[in-house]
Amino acid sequence: MDKNGSYLVTAPKQEKGTPMADTQIATINFKEEALRLLPEGASFEACLTCGLCSSGCPASGIENMDPRKFIRMAELGMDVELSTTPWVWCCTQCKRCHHVCPMNIDISQLVFLARSNWPEDKKPSGIVRSCQMILATDSTSAMGLPPADFVFVVDDVLQEVRATQPAFQHLQAPMDKQGAHFFVNQNSREPMSEPDEMVPLWKIFHLVGADWTYSSKGWAAENFCMFSGNETAWYEVIKKRVDAVNELGCQVWLNTECGHSYYTMWQGVKRFNLTANFRLESLITYYARWIREGKLPVNSKWNTKGIKFTVQDPCMIVRKAYGDAIAEDMRFVTRALVGEENFIDMQPNRSANYCCGGGGGFLQAGMTEHRRTYGKRKFDQIAATGAAYVLTPCHNCHSQMEDIGHFYGGNYGVVHFWTLICLSLGILGDNERTYLGPDLLELLD
Amino acid sequence: MKEETRNFTTQLAIIGSGIAGFAASIFAVNRKIATAQIGNTGAVAYTTGYLDLLGKMDGAQAAVNDPWQALEQLRKSQSNHPLSRVAVADIHRGFNEFTAFLGECGIAYSQPEKRNITALTPVGTLKQTLCVPATMAAGPRAFAAKKPCVIIDFIGLKGFSGRQVVANLQDRWPNLGTQRIAFPDMVHGEIYPEVMARALEVPATREKLAYTLKNAAGQAKVIGLPAILGMHCPDHVRAELERLTGLEIFEIPTMPPSVPGIRLRELFEQVLPKKGVTLIPQQKVTALDFDDRGATLSLFDSYGPIRIQAQTVILATGRFLSGGLEAHPDGIREHLLDLPVTQPADRTHWYHDRYTDPRGHAIHRAGIEIDDTFRPLRLDGRPYSDRLFAAGIIIAHQDWIRGRSGAGIAIATAFRAVAEAERYLLAETNPEKRV
Ligand SMILES: Cc1cc2nc3c(=O)[nH]c(=O)nc-3n(C[C@H](O)[C@H](O)[C@H](O)COP(=O)(O)OP(=O)(O)OC[C@H]3O[C@@H](n4cnc5c(N)ncnc54)[C@H](O)[C@@H]3O)c2cc1C
Ligand code: SF4
Ligand code: SF4
Ligand code: SF4
Repeated sequence: MDKNGSYLVTAPKQEKGTPMADTQIATINFKEEALRLLPEGASFEACLTCGLCSSGCPASGIENMDPRKFIRMAELGMDVELSTTPWVWCCTQCKRCHHVCPMNIDISQLVFLARSNWPEDKKPSGIVRSCQMILATDSTSAMGLPPADFVFVVDDVLQEVRATQPAFQHLQAPMDKQGAHFFVNQNSREPMSEPDEMVPLWKIFHLVGADWTYSSKGWAAENFCMFSGNETAWYEVIKKRVDAVNELGCQVWLNTECGHSYYTMWQGVKRFNLTANFRLESLITYYARWIREGKLPVNSKWNTKGIKFTVQDPCMIVRKAYGDAIAEDMRFVTRALVGEENFIDMQPNRSANYCCGGGGGFLQAGMTEHRRTYGKRKFDQIAATGAAYVLTPCHNCHSQMEDIGHFYGGNYGVVHFWTLICLSLGILGDNERTYLGPDLLELLD
Repeated sequence: MKEETRNFTTQLAIIGSGIAGFAASIFAVNRKIATAQIGNTGAVAYTTGYLDLLGKMDGAQAAVNDPWQALEQLRKSQSNHPLSRVAVADIHRGFNEFTAFLGECGIAYSQPEKRNITALTPVGTLKQTLCVPATMAAGPRAFAAKKPCVIIDFIGLKGFSGRQVVANLQDRWPNLGTQRIAFPDMVHGEIYPEVMARALEVPATREKLAYTLKNAAGQAKVIGLPAILGMHCPDHVRAELERLTGLEIFEIPTMPPSVPGIRLRELFEQVLPKKGVTLIPQQKVTALDFDDRGATLSLFDSYGPIRIQAQTVILATGRFLSGGLEAHPDGIREHLLDLPVTQPADRTHWYHDRYTDPRGHAIHRAGIEIDDTFRPLRLDGRPYSDRLFAAGIIIAHQDWIRGRSGAGIAIATAFRAVAEAERYLLAETNPEKRV
């Protein structure tokens, strides 16, 4: 802590393989910090110790900790234990505890504080590395894909689609187009490991006649710097992204199917008081709008076998950001795609939904066993629906639900919205079907 | 990046999401009144699921058997008690409407009968209540018939002990035993009823549990479980477990955080928006202003500022726990409009010396004053606004804890407040009908 009582954290400027000093985790005075961070009336003293938070927290019990206990220990001044508990890396900062707490107490803020207090070399290296990668190039890609490579991959895939899919010989994937309406971001996973997965979204833009562009700078969606508790780094990433959108003069930063990329950008712009000359919007909102306007004439006639679907509400865009309004849009889109009778809601849902356990950097943290314990709730939720597929507009949710599905013996698939939209429209290319199971593939032939 | 204020207009804004607020929303929806509701829904999750009307009369030793008759008595002895200010027939209608709504939306309840039901508490004592969830109904029946029965509890579950239930009931229920079992596939030390309830919505978990339950029941044909039988389709979960075990099964409420309350909260949060209510579940109204044209409510949610223009408002913000009333060194205040609060003369009169004093404590009867049309009053005895009505335990002259009348006061007063708001709305739309 510096003299003014604020925490100074900087990203380590070390090369790979450089040994780090064995630093200690400093002790935070949680009670004092809570007074500073939590709004009046929602302080720790207001806690009724009712346990609703813990009862509804999927991280309860992991590392022998839960949110109520966290608060109790803070009250009792057990600062050393709280400063060092690895549990802070298992809490995904999903804010479900906050949502169900009658006193509106927000534990995730203290978890963020605790995370930022850990020395970089003690933090889960996977999250730290992902953040370093993001800072390493102008792409802000957690997989370190440089701008030139991104431009190359996009063009390469585009040429192939034009050549092999006659209906899309005029498909566009604009890059750095000045003044385009939408600035569209992109998860690195696609250009890096499954480039064909970019195509369905391009097709959707093509169909609705969207004026959009990718950017060679600040294009990547993922952002693990916030999760690593590195505020300086979080600022740097968001600054780069905001600058990129401002430079291109786009009116809307359109967030792809990803939860935390939206949240970290939206919160970052507010927190760091950045000048963003554009609106932040979610692709889901536009899917819903385009379907309502008839620009995306999807229907559920293809679902002749009555295959059942459920949806996963990413907490980063639902509970923590837009609230139930966007959850309703998701359901509207889903119903239009699969048929009213084939949609089964998970329980609980919308703002009350459980985090899947992939968020907060959990997937990157290397704590596999804990992450799966956390994910057991999600697994039960999905299993209770009996659905064959989960639709979700979030990459982390996607990966986590696939993983727990395999681990706990579920037999459901996880699909992106763009896949199902193109499937419904009959324009899903052969290479764009990775996430379809045999039941769906059969309907396509 | 600009934060845009989201604007809503509505006929009725309900401030508060306790039982009173939710009951008001239900009554409003049924009357086709456009409604917005704001308030933290957390505390609803504390209820046992039992809907009490009137379980205890002040000063009386015995519990109330016939709440309808007791209401008549109350009317004579405490005419300013909120329950005395609602016609008995309206209270009956309110309970009918409320429980029917819950039933239609997935949680079946017993309808109000002539007499109170003697129900089991989490610790195995008995209490009088009016309506119980269908999942719990077999318990009071088994108790009345003294059927051989086993109370099941679970390794790692706090807040419910079969031994304690049996110890408290064995004098009156001779064939009552208990068994402790493990819940299928739970790895951690402490397990919460909420987690168990959700796990029981998975058919495979039910099958595993059914197997264990059959063994634990022994010769008994009836078993009592802590309230864990599913979250959003409890009646189905119970029916399935009964089918799989061949036993009659009932639930007993557990200590908070308990499932029956969470069921209600999640039901309200899901169903009301579907019925057209603008529900803003986690937030507090920060300002409420009235002018000639209506009321303006200001608040924030995580996304940004919200403004609601409403023709009428129901204030159902509860007492101290929920923040409707605030205790300050110089007295008790109503926090949103600074309405006058009827309260003991000074702090020394808040409590009697002993907490268990049979006369109760004066502070538990504090609250706001209303007129006969449920409009909160100013100091001079005039209504604060013709558009403002009140419901729930924020209203003075009742001690719902001692009276075992929490849900009763909430539902009855909400019924009246909505009726009065509806009357106002009708008059405003058809001025010639104004009386
Ligand atoms: C632990 C516990 C157990 C209970 N068990 C039972 C039981 O078994 N049977 C029974 O019949 N009753 C029971 N009750 C009582 C019942 O649940 C209700 O508390 C009671 O009926 C009062 O309801 P209410 O809606 O008037 O107030 P509350 O339930 O207190 O609700 C007030 C609401 O107002 C909101 N609020 C306050 N200020 C604002 C603002 N500025 N803006 C927006 N919202 C605001 C609060 O967030 C809250 O949602 C129990 C209560 C508790 C606490
Ligand atoms: S839900 Fe809120 S009041 Fe209850 S224990 Fe958790 S933090 Fe405390
Ligand atoms: S933020 Fe989510 S994971 Fe963390 S304590 Fe709260 S409910 Fe649990
Ligand atoms: S992975 Fe999905 S559910 Fe989990 S924190 Fe992120 S958005 Fe929430």
